[in-house]
Amino acid sequence: MDVKSLKKEKYKAVFVLKGTNPSYVNMLRRAIINRVPTMAIDEVEIVENSSALYDEMLAHRIGLIVLKTDLDSYMQKSKCKCGGKGCARCQLDITLNIKGPCTVYAEDLKSKDPQIKPVYPKTPIAKLLKGQNIKLSATAILATGKDHAKFTPGLLYFQGFPSIQIKEAKNPTEIAQQCPKGILKVSGKKIQIIDLPKCDLCKACEDFAKESVKVEGSQEDFIITLESWGQLTTKEILTTAIDSLNEQLDSLSGEIKKIK
Amino acid sequence: MIIPIRCQSCGKPIGHLWEEYKERLAKGEDRKKIFDELGLERYCCRAIFLGHVDLFDTIARFKKS
Repeated sequence: MDVKSLKKEKYKAVFVLKGTNPSYVNMLRRAIINRVPTMAIDEVEIVENSSALYDEMLAHRIGLIVLKTDLDSYMQKSKCKCGGKGCARCQLDITLNIKGPCTVYAEDLKSKDPQIKPVYPKTPIAKLLKGQNIKLSATAILATGKDHAKFTPGLLYFQGFPSIQIKEAKNPTEIAQQCPKGILKVSGKKIQIIDLPKCDLCKACEDFAKESVKVEGSQEDFIITLESWGQLTTKEILTTAIDSLNEQLDSLSGEIKKIK
Repeated sequence: MIIPIRCQSCGKPIGHLWEEYKERLAKGEDRKKIFDELGLERYCCRAIFLGHVDLFDTIARFKKS
């Protein structure tokens, strides 16, 4: 397998993966959604809530807040030495105590661990009028997308690497104009392709001139886009997902060896 | 009522973008331009912003404390 990076932003990575197959990339996609752990608030104890949001609604919104995750210093409750009772290695206390009038932002959450804090501090949780206030304590845990979608670290999507075959055409200018991404360019009587990875296989050019243009997505090479929601970096997401797949395969091969 | 913290469809965090969106919209900027610059590229996230009505301040007045 061969990896080539196309684009790298803070929370987004686009790369080409060559010499694989759709099921393998899909396995990777599902591992990222279901098996990569992140931190999120899981339990909320409300002491006082006189805001216009119901307690359930408030707890739901607080649960969805994206927390920066440190995978080295926390572990999942099921794998923790304390046996799931909850200790400093598997859970984190967060409190919120605020009096109106104001807008309550995610940055108002007071975390005991300075490493684990909201990634987007200006996320509005609620608005308070004069005399309204919120007081609550919450527990954040490390868990996976299998437990709740809020723990999902990001999104991976992929398409086959495009190949455009152009034979001689009578009306090259009109064919080139069909492309919504503008990657076809006419030079003389021939059509040239500029920036091939930008093609999203819409096949507008093929529909227009079936006899001279053929667009196909590869079944072996893929353009993969990985978006992180901010808890982990894109690299951490990929390596953790691959580690979890390895773990599963190891346990499978262990079970198979036990069969006589 | 109040802007959702994440996109209901894809899960992308969008709540923190609302105040900037509202500010820039009031200045008369084009919606497409704001969405592109905020990084809302999928139509699920864009639709939440387009369809959202900020009624939270109105509703808060009817709350009995």
